[in-house]
Amino acid sequence: MAEQPVPEIALLAQVLAAGSTEAPALRSSRRGSQPAAPARGPEDSKAPPLLSRRNSILSRRSSFGMGPGSRRPSWMLHRRVSFSGLPIFQPILKTRLENTYRIGPDKGCRFDVERVQRVLEGTLACALGATEYSAQGSAPLALSLTELLQSQAKEVVPPRYKLVCHVVLGQQGQQSLLVASRGLWDPETDTFASASFSNASLFAVATVYGVYFE
Amino acid sequence: MDEFQAAEEAAFLVDEVSSIIKEAIEGAIGGNAYQHSKVNQWTTSVVEQTLSQLTKLGKPFKYIVTCVIMQKNGAGLHTASSCFWDNSSDGTCTVRWENKTMYCIVSAFGLAL
Repeated sequence: MAEQPVPEIALLAQVLAAGSTEAPALRSSRRGSQPAAPARGPEDSKAPPLLSRRNSILSRRSSFGMGPGSRRPSWMLHRRVSFSGLPIFQPILKTRLENTYRIGPDKGCRFDVERVQRVLEGTLACALGATEYSAQGSAPLALSLTELLQSQAKEVVPPRYKLVCHVVLGQQGQQSLLVASRGLWDPETDTFASASFSNASLFAVATVYGVYFE
Repeated sequence: MDEFQAAEEAAFLVDEVSSIIKEAIEGAIGGNAYQHSKVNQWTTSVVEQTLSQLTKLGKPFKYIVTCVIMQKNGAGLHTASSCFWDNSSDGTCTVRWENKTMYCIVSAFGLAL
């Protein structure tokens, strides 16, 4: 067997080998990283130094537990094994957030409609100032416009608000268009802001809905 | 078992919402031609109908329904939306409908409570 600088890897290799050949030899009360040493025939010559290594590792582990830089296999950290020496993984605990006892936004933290509207108007004017409508280019333009407006709105909107940003972009022609929306929400905390822009070849209507999230 | 059922009931089911929207559109503007004077009324009824049906589902969601009706005149139209929310619990559904004289695009957004 080649020299293995990391003692844990040596232990791991031993355990895996032991698990496949001598299942009953392992006792569940002990840690799985310690298979019964005397039963291993071919490695007798290596057993004494490994034994001593194992003991020293045990004492090391008991003294400082899990350091931040330690790279042990995850099952070794949990230290629970079944009869066969295979690890039992602990169930992953779902993080539960503490109750904040808040049911409404704070005093000064409402969705400011005028501010968001000004932001929308400014951004639309900047982004679409002199743009021409084109069938191929306008689809990605609409998408990038929503992303841009959303990021702008996020900066102005208070926390705990979910945002929905909706943009309608169309070619300026002789047609008529109507955009309507309705929301089922809490009128005291939730609202929307909208702005429109038009030039010679295109028009755009942007709406940002802010919904308070409890 | 209870938790699983609660999660099922409180999810935004796109197919269900999509069929609700289609019914609302058909009911409001099903066989009509574009008339400027009636568009206001049509959009209101589409949105109201959709919203009332969504409410009847009884799920713990806040809803936003948007409707765009445009006359067919050869001009192009694009709609886009981006949302800042919780991807696992919130959802959206958009339905495009047209007849000979107009396009109708309805988007429904559901935000979990």
